[in-house]
Amino acid sequence: MKLLGLLVVVVGWLIAVSSVLLTSSTTTRFIICLIGIACCLVGILKVLNGAYLKHAIWKQ
Amino acid sequence: MTISSVKERLVLLLILCSSLWGSAALANGQTSPATSTNTAVTAPPSLASPLNVKDANPPAPADLAKGDPGGALTGTVNDVPVSDAKKGLTLGDTVNQVGQNKVAINFVWTLVTGFLVMFMQAGFALVETGLCRAKNANHTMMMNFMVYGFGLFAYWVCGFAFQMGGVGATTNLGGTAPLSGELVRHWFGKDWGLIGTHGFFLTQGGTYDVGVMVLFLFQMVFMDTAATIVTGAAAERWKFAAFAMSSFFLAAFTYPLYANWAWGGGWLSQLGANFGLGHGYCDFAGSGVVHAVGGITALAVSMIIGPRIGKYNRNGSSNAMPGHDIVIVLTGCFILAFGWFGFNPGSTLGASGNGALRIGSIAVNTMLAGCTGSFGALFYMWIRYGKPDASMAGNGLLAGLVAITAPSGFVNSVGAAIIGLVAGVLVCLSVEYFDRVARVDDPVGAISVHGTNGLWGVISVGLFADGKSNYGGSWNGVNGSVTGLFYGDPSQLVAQLIGVATLVGFVFSLAYVLNIFVDYFVGQRVAAESELEGLDVPELGALGYPEFVLKTYRQEAVAHG
Repeated sequence: MKLLGLLVVVVGWLIAVSSVLLTSSTTTRFIICLIGIACCLVGILKVLNGAYLKHAIWKQ
Repeated sequence: MTISSVKERLVLLLILCSSLWGSAALANGQTSPATSTNTAVTAPPSLASPLNVKDANPPAPADLAKGDPGGALTGTVNDVPVSDAKKGLTLGDTVNQVGQNKVAINFVWTLVTGFLVMFMQAGFALVETGLCRAKNANHTMMMNFMVYGFGLFAYWVCGFAFQMGGVGATTNLGGTAPLSGELVRHWFGKDWGLIGTHGFFLTQGGTYDVGVMVLFLFQMVFMDTAATIVTGAAAERWKFAAFAMSSFFLAAFTYPLYANWAWGGGWLSQLGANFGLGHGYCDFAGSGVVHAVGGITALAVSMIIGPRIGKYNRNGSSNAMPGHDIVIVLTGCFILAFGWFGFNPGSTLGASGNGALRIGSIAVNTMLAGCTGSFGALFYMWIRYGKPDASMAGNGLLAGLVAITAPSGFVNSVGAAIIGLVAGVLVCLSVEYFDRVARVDDPVGAISVHGTNGLWGVISVGLFADGKSNYGGSWNGVNGSVTGLFYGDPSQLVAQLIGVATLVGFVFSLAYVLNIFVDYFVGQRVAAESELEGLDVPELGALGYPEFVLKTYRQEAVAHG
């Protein structure tokens, strides 16, 4: 799960950076960037953090 | 004043005017006055021409020998160095002195503001220690103290070279020409600057240079600010050896890499020149480069270490763990606010030339955003919980300052006030989110203050930059002023969002991997027994407040007969 979370984060970053290569439209670049950032945040706060919370010290 | 002295003044004025006119015409690609068909204009003198400066009336040695209590006799033509004593003072000597004066002003400005930023370490130490429990005071203070040394050493070895090794000329500091090594890859038809290669140990690549030294000092204290942010989020359970290694990695790799992309001529700064995104990623003084890098690394470390024992109950609800000294917390906040006047106005790297006089506006923006940030947090807590909270008011001040750091050089005072106010509310929401929803334990709120509001600061450049700043006519190689969405350029916001994505995507991943490495080899977290006892004795062998504890023991002994 941790590895998957990290993968989602990196993919999110690559999505955002690829916006400058995929199109020259500012609006489309803006939307792609937001998708990339959302992907990164989900990877960190949901997937990766979720993996840590599953075995959190206060649950033991 | 005699007639002859008036004539001499006029001749001198004419010579200077014609000289300036000649250089301006040459700069515009026009014909040199000397070869022009307009023979009515006198050819400008060469720089070696002696200047007639008798009318400067330098004070006589006898007058100087009496002292100069009024200051009117000190600093005259006699203080301008002459390159050839036989010729006397020439136009070249005068112009060289003007150039050196400009660079000297900028050196002094950059160094003094760098010293202010260095003093922020004391502010961070007080804030973080005050927000921790008394049993961890020595440990928290020592982390804040030693991060300066660990960070400085790593940055001297390689961090500075990775960050600024290819930045090129920094005209305000007289050139810094040796910093000309940037690893560039040609991908997708564009150049992508990846990492600097000059300046290891401040000697390699000819970097033993006065301008480079000034730049190093200023950039080093910025890096150390990022490094010290992590110590707050991981306080009260971080193994000291792990802290040392983690700080070294941040100073050597994580911070310099992102800072190179943003400030060292790397690919983020070139998004404007290469892809037409405004002026590329713009981060005037480091909301993203310094604070978000520190805050996001703090998030990675906090997740790896886990929460303190007793922070969360079995049902996931959180317990408040108040700090032991609100007095030093707020004192630390004041010291940080003072140091921020070095952080933001100092980022012009000068007070003379290239639009550097904007330092006044930058300083006012910094004040205002800190003020409205504390308002935002104060009123949020007051309305939501019924009382104004001192520690959150302090965090609101810091959040406003963090948020204004990136836009401080590009926005007006109204924009700064709004940015600060939003930051003040945002820090409260973010603290609540990480505490209650994400359950990432952050004793001092560093992730929210620096991470969340660092990102907000980066975005706010793309919204509020008013297009009025002009630092030498261009920024990141794009002519004109940085302009945000609200002032007509939506593409600048996209450049800023790519910066945000790089922070939460790349910087987080790199920081996470490096700290997993530390965890594997050293172990990030102290033993449970040490944590319960307090880290002062188990980790460092001495209590932060020995008398305080002895007194408590004695009282307990008396109470129990």
